[in-house]
Amino acid sequence: MLDHPSFAPMQRVQGRAAVALVPGAGRPRIGGLAQSGSAKVFLPAVHSAVPEVVFLNTAGGLTGGDRFTCRVDLGAGLRAVATTQTAERGYASAGGQAEVAVTLSLGAGAELHWLPQETILFQGASLARRTRADLTPGARLVLAEMVVLGRAAMGETLESAAFSDRREVWSSGRPVWVDPLVLGARALAPRPALLAGARAFATLALIGPGAEDAAGALRAALPDTVTGAVSGWDGKCLARLTAPDALPLKRAVATLLSILRQGAPLPRVWQI
Amino acid sequence: MQLVQWLSPAFPVGGFAYSHGLEWAIAQGGLAGAEAIGDWIGDVIGQGSGRVDACLLAASLRPGADHAALAGLARALAAARERAVETEDQGRAFTDLTNTLTGTAHPPAPLPVAVGRAVAALGLPAEQVVALYLQTFAGNLVQVAVRFAPLGQTEGQRMLAGLQPLILRVAAEAVADPDAIGSAAFGADMAAMAHEVMEVRIYKT
Repeated sequence: MLDHPSFAPMQRVQGRAAVALVPGAGRPRIGGLAQSGSAKVFLPAVHSAVPEVVFLNTAGGLTGGDRFTCRVDLGAGLRAVATTQTAERGYASAGGQAEVAVTLSLGAGAELHWLPQETILFQGASLARRTRADLTPGARLVLAEMVVLGRAAMGETLESAAFSDRREVWSSGRPVWVDPLVLGARALAPRPALLAGARAFATLALIGPGAEDAAGALRAALPDTVTGAVSGWDGKCLARLTAPDALPLKRAVATLLSILRQGAPLPRVWQI
Repeated sequence: MQLVQWLSPAFPVGGFAYSHGLEWAIAQGGLAGAEAIGDWIGDVIGQGSGRVDACLLAASLRPGADHAALAGLARALAAARERAVETEDQGRAFTDLTNTLTGTAHPPAPLPVAVGRAVAALGLPAEQVVALYLQTFAGNLVQVAVRFAPLGQTEGQRMLAGLQPLILRVAAEAVADPDAIGSAAFGADMAAMAHEVMEVRIYKT
């Protein structure tokens, strides 16, 4: 073992964590749990019938060559919230890209809220994330992903980064929603069809039967501190937001989530 | 000849009726002048739904392509309700016409998949097909700007000519790797979403 592994230029961090929730007495219980490397998963005690699953990357960030995987299997008819303990940091890569894979599986009629904290990209970051959810008919997924470009407090303006962030939701073996964000240096130009100079942006989705009906309420609740738009059709309700900085974005996301989640409180680990 | 006919603005798939969110962006006043509009259209083609369509078309042109699966992927990739309407309606019109003209019996599919499926039989160079598709796509958006911005016809044609190097590059990239589908056009996506609740509108999208 190296004394200072974080200083070794090609050190690769591997982490895998997975949890399966199955029916229990009154509330879901853990049917299986696995964790290895830098990945941890735990379920803090909550005063609610809906358990909170929290993933943690003990490496404290991602850099070129790192691999981080997390997985939630939610049994039929169950409800759960899953999140991350802290913001994920994509650090400058000395070579190669960091890869993150999130796999979510929902049984019939299950409802999962995947609400990770924001991803912060640093200058020179190279990060590829794939999030895939497989829904059995009748399942509902609420998803929110926030990305922050550099640290405003440090006066950083991100000029170079390679970030791909692909979300796929499948139902009965067919793709329902595929959202392949690919953000390179060219996409960081402050132009209105792109991010228009925004330092923080978010995508929210509700996928499931009747999801399109949520569009009107979300649209009406969009705070004027962010730029945002909402669309609903065909079992999907999608919202995109951009903001000058992380805080107004997170507050706006919290407002919209409160509507999508019928006022359920945010995960306790969220720092906002 | 057949390709040029099928991808001509005169081929009645109704492309003139869709602004792809550009109507909303112009109405908001955020796109003043030819340069800003040209950048918007260029970003949609280079880093938005134009590139996504180019990849779907390139994938649909490959020998043995699974067009039913690609049609499902194309539907899932729609970033807003009106994007789904736009690609579905035009794809249906294109399929009906080419079915009638060539005696095929393809089911409806989103536009890039419908075009790729029909054109694959012609055995043309894929890059040329994708470039011509993007040229038509860009031409429709330029016409929105000419009618709605307003922009002079000559300025519009100059803008379209200026987009050619980008169109050729995106076509080449899409053909080289059709699976590398990606978009960064957050603003254009939001414009398409916002257009669906625009009260006074000329365009369907």
